[in-house]
Amino acid sequence: MAAISYYASVLAIFACIYSIVTLGLNIQWGFSGILNFGVYAFVAIGAYTYALFTLGKPIPGASQTYILGLHLPFVVGLAAAAAAGGIVAWVLGAVALRRLRSDYLAITTIAFSQILWLIAGNETWLANGWDGVSGVPQPFNGLLKLSFNDYNFFFLGLSLVILVLVVWLAQLLLRAPFGRILRAVREDELVVESFGRNIASLKLRAFIIGAVLASIGGAMLAAYVGAFNPSAFLAGETFFVWAALLIGGSGNNWGAILGAVLVPVVFTEGTRFLPNIPSNPQLIEAFRYVIIGLLLILTLKFRPQGIIPERSDRFERAARRNRRLRSTPVPVDDAGEPPSA
Amino acid sequence: MLEVRDVHKRFGGNKAVDGCSFTVEAQSTVGLIGPNGAGKTTTVNLISGRLPVDRGEIVFNGKPVQNLPMWRVARRGLTRTFQISRELRALTVMENMLIASQLQRYEGLVQTLFQLAAIRAAEKEVVRRAYELLELFQLTRLANQYAGNLSGGQKRLLELARSLMADPEMLILDEPLAGVNPTTARNIAEYIETMRSRGITLLIIEHNLTMVERLCERVIVMAEGSVLAEGNMKEIRENPKVVDAYLGTVV
Repeated sequence: MAAISYYASVLAIFACIYSIVTLGLNIQWGFSGILNFGVYAFVAIGAYTYALFTLGKPIPGASQTYILGLHLPFVVGLAAAAAAGGIVAWVLGAVALRRLRSDYLAITTIAFSQILWLIAGNETWLANGWDGVSGVPQPFNGLLKLSFNDYNFFFLGLSLVILVLVVWLAQLLLRAPFGRILRAVREDELVVESFGRNIASLKLRAFIIGAVLASIGGAMLAAYVGAFNPSAFLAGETFFVWAALLIGGSGNNWGAILGAVLVPVVFTEGTRFLPNIPSNPQLIEAFRYVIIGLLLILTLKFRPQGIIPERSDRFERAARRNRRLRSTPVPVDDAGEPPSA
Repeated sequence: MLEVRDVHKRFGGNKAVDGCSFTVEAQSTVGLIGPNGAGKTTTVNLISGRLPVDRGEIVFNGKPVQNLPMWRVARRGLTRTFQISRELRALTVMENMLIASQLQRYEGLVQTLFQLAAIRAAEKEVVRRAYELLELFQLTRLANQYAGNLSGGQKRLLELARSLMADPEMLILDEPLAGVNPTTARNIAEYIETMRSRGITLLIIEHNLTMVERLCERVIVMAEGSVLAEGNMKEIRENPKVVDAYLGTVV
């Protein structure tokens, strides 16, 4: 029983972290139509920044070398990760968003994540290269002195708190004039510009916010797993986030969360009852990707808007709302009238 | 209000606009007509900042606006519509209206987080105004419908209503009657007259000359990238150069 609840809590923690990242992509793609194929680059920036800010000074001659090692508390590490993601997104976005059309932006962001990946791997002085960093402090673990199992539930609570904050922010943005204008940018930049909006600036802001969320997700990931290397941030990971968003429903924050819960769970659990084939042990592993790919194809074919599609707000006329409050039937429209000019 | 001075624009070897000059007085309604390929839409694109000019000057409200980006020109009070309706399909009619309103100062993360009350108040006012305009354009019952579901004529109406949400000093209408049936065309003409009476300066590109005559006190004829003739519709009809280039012999 304890094993199952532990396993469930691990899945739930990953679902939370994944949801945060997917909500970030939703602000970029779902709201604003920014084709970011470098999502995991920002997750990596968050993870590495968090690690370098919270780890202690590297011991000379020890197995790992890295810069900084500031030994700062969790909250500072998290804030630093968010800031690092935001700053990098600002620089990348300022260059790439202004001039490039969406498909070129996609290529640029892939290239960017590959470059980052190679730097992280090859520049050993930076964060221990391909071997990766380990011993990243887990938040409040020293303070609480909980058992391994209990700490896992504590971390789940912490992830949930951060997720709730992120969801609140994403919902607030979506329902605000800011979210509305971003959706309009996604639909037709020219129209939005013709009404006096600086498109490059709007898109840059959305790109930065999404990147900050991805970096926060990365920091949580680093804090949870405690040890990682560049292979955790392969370009393929980015497309899992995309699959989650597209299957769940882009443009809808709840859809993004549903996808983020569904895709990893299906990925890890979808092949559970398949028999193992001794002659080809890689097959089951490969089959997981097939299932996700199939799920994505089926979604795009039969429900392109995703499981929970985007929804527009209704705006009632003040007078009508009053009538409804008095619970008399709403009169039919006034479309027959001549223009009251 | 608007002065176009010797503006040039070429696309490769094609001189789309070639020394075009004209003036639009404040609160007047001016028609811009001419054969296809005369450079009318390109001229509008140059005025609105969608395209940079190669040479020449465009002055709006006493200040040069040539080569300013479109959004900066729009913020100075010049709004335009497009030849083909560009409704935002995945947004509702009301949302289409709201994005045109002057809420720019609230469209950021910090504002969204810390100016909730101000945003609510501003939005309430903007929604009220949007309903007023939708009422005028007989689109009220469609307010919460997705714009992509409207008919062609309704999309045209939405485009006009939306352009008024921006509260423009000057409005450029690029073929507002293109592709609509005669009844809707008459309605749109009435709405344009309403805009006139509200003191909005109008520049209208249109091929329906009956409507141009009805709506515009002055007409500019463009051909081959420059102004061929100017005057009221009667003078234009009698101008042999215009008959030759645009109207044809049988009018």
